[in-house]
Amino acid sequence: MFWQQLVNGLTVGSTYSLIAIGYTLIFGVLGIINMAHGQIFIFGSLVGLYLITEVEMPLGIAFLTAIIVSAVLGLILEYTALRPLRKKNVPHLASLISTIGFAILVEEAMHKLFGADSRAVPVSLGSEMYDLGVVQVRGVDLIILTVSLVLMFVLHFWINRTKMGKAIRATAENNETASILGINTNMVIVATVVIASALGGVAGSLIGLAYSALIPSMGLNLGFKGLAVLILGGVGSITGAMVCGILLGIAEVFSVAYGDSSYRDAVAFGLIILILLFRPQGLFGRKV
Amino acid sequence: MDLFNPYNLQVITFIVLNGILAISIYITLATGQLSLGHAGFMSIGAYMASILTKQADAPLLIALIAGGLFAGLIALLIGAPTLKLHGLYLAIATLGFGEVVRVIFLNLEITNGALGLTGLPSIGSSLYDRIKGLGLNADTFGLSVLEIKAALTLLFLVLLFAVVLFLTLRLHRSRIGRAFEAIKADETAARAMGLPVAYYKMLAFVLGAVLAGICGGLFAHITTTITPDDFNYHKVVEILSFAVIGGSEVVWGPLFGALILTSLPEVLRAVAEYKMIMYGAIMVLVMAFRPHGLIGADTFARLFRRRKKTPSQQAEEGM
Repeated sequence: MFWQQLVNGLTVGSTYSLIAIGYTLIFGVLGIINMAHGQIFIFGSLVGLYLITEVEMPLGIAFLTAIIVSAVLGLILEYTALRPLRKKNVPHLASLISTIGFAILVEEAMHKLFGADSRAVPVSLGSEMYDLGVVQVRGVDLIILTVSLVLMFVLHFWINRTKMGKAIRATAENNETASILGINTNMVIVATVVIASALGGVAGSLIGLAYSALIPSMGLNLGFKGLAVLILGGVGSITGAMVCGILLGIAEVFSVAYGDSSYRDAVAFGLIILILLFRPQGLFGRKV
Repeated sequence: MDLFNPYNLQVITFIVLNGILAISIYITLATGQLSLGHAGFMSIGAYMASILTKQADAPLLIALIAGGLFAGLIALLIGAPTLKLHGLYLAIATLGFGEVVRVIFLNLEITNGALGLTGLPSIGSSLYDRIKGLGLNADTFGLSVLEIKAALTLLFLVLLFAVVLFLTLRLHRSRIGRAFEAIKADETAARAMGLPVAYYKMLAFVLGAVLAGICGGLFAHITTTITPDDFNYHKVVEILSFAVIGGSEVVWGPLFGALILTSLPEVLRAVAEYKMIMYGAIMVLVMAFRPHGLIGADTFARLFRRRKKTPSQQAEEGM
């Protein structure tokens, strides 16, 4: 029972990590919280799901489409809601509001295009069970875990070892200095927003597989989880986002298994309030 | 258009109610703190007041005040640790607070879970009973009972709004108001000047919460039904957008925002299907072109300067 729940928590948590990395990347580079992140990736995933159910495309192509659509939405977000605000001396509240506005637009678009109902993911993929001694794992859980963990390692390597990663870290450290030193910060910002949204698209698709359904309103709910992880891990810390996403998943699954399931959605923010009381910079954050 | 149509009256009532809510977020923002917990405080006030009137038969006015004070008390408790946070941290923490409150209300027995509380006494009815006691009834005014109830509710809210606005303007010009402004402009400098920054931030946070709590109680006793979902994230966004779209530098900004955003859905009823799309688009556009909100500190100054330009006035301005 315990080990089984741990595996479930790990699966759910790894998708939370992917969502939270999206927030973290954008926060790190732009210093803003993208309140439209959840809606963006659920929109992408719904398009992917639509391709599977209505056009009967193969899973792989639909998955890729979901990621691309999310990335494109991220691009639109950057050009409409973020870029116009960047040049001016605006209160930091402003970008929060314009992303909320963008989120409303995406949410409405979803309702117009797909309706507000839950849509089933008709994929029989991964329904087989694997017996791993103490635990039984669904094939789909293995897929989710593998994809998220691989992505996280790739991202970690990419941020820390490549030139582009270096540019992102430099821009995150100080936008102006980075641009003086010859980094095309605008390009870095666009790349960051697109990558963050694409990662969200992956997370959304995996969540669709895990729950075998997608609901437009999930964007808001999962977005909140991502925000909670962002704070838990320490704003701006990618490692924090990865570890705390998994921690949150485990905490939620355990709270349902051993406590009251109706409080599931309060776990994330309950943890936030606790962490802010005792370690305001987050588990992996630097002391301000 | 029939002005005394209860529906129209109710729309205006909600504009006034949202005006008070706008003041509540303005007071918190006046110290530069972005709180996303106002819907949470509103729900605390709403449930407190409703339980008092419904289960304990308390008089409406007492219940409203108790709701506000209870919301303030909770703000005091959660304010102590959270007000150490800045900017977006505070925003997320208060957003989290609101969500936790909502989930708790969804699960408590006394709040009747997701179904919420129904059949609450309405402000209109209780006021009508009061004037009936004075020997007046609907016929005296030549209106139907429904109309007079709606009109009384509106009258009550307008009076309350006037009092709150008056006090806010007084506050703004007082020592406290100037302290708020100093903290908003530069917290470090304000502290260096010897201002007890933590005290003033807490004061603004609690005042905002008390007002939000009272608004919650009012909301409950206007609609006579509340559920935890009335105070969800969308409510947070709505309250916040009053201040952000209207402008948060002077109190007229949020009030203007509340007026526009509450009446817009009524004006746009013909295109109701696209209401939310416009709402979202307005938020993005206003932030892109006027990030400080539609009404800023300079708006009135510019208006008045253009209107009159006597030498004596210029001398006063220069002082």
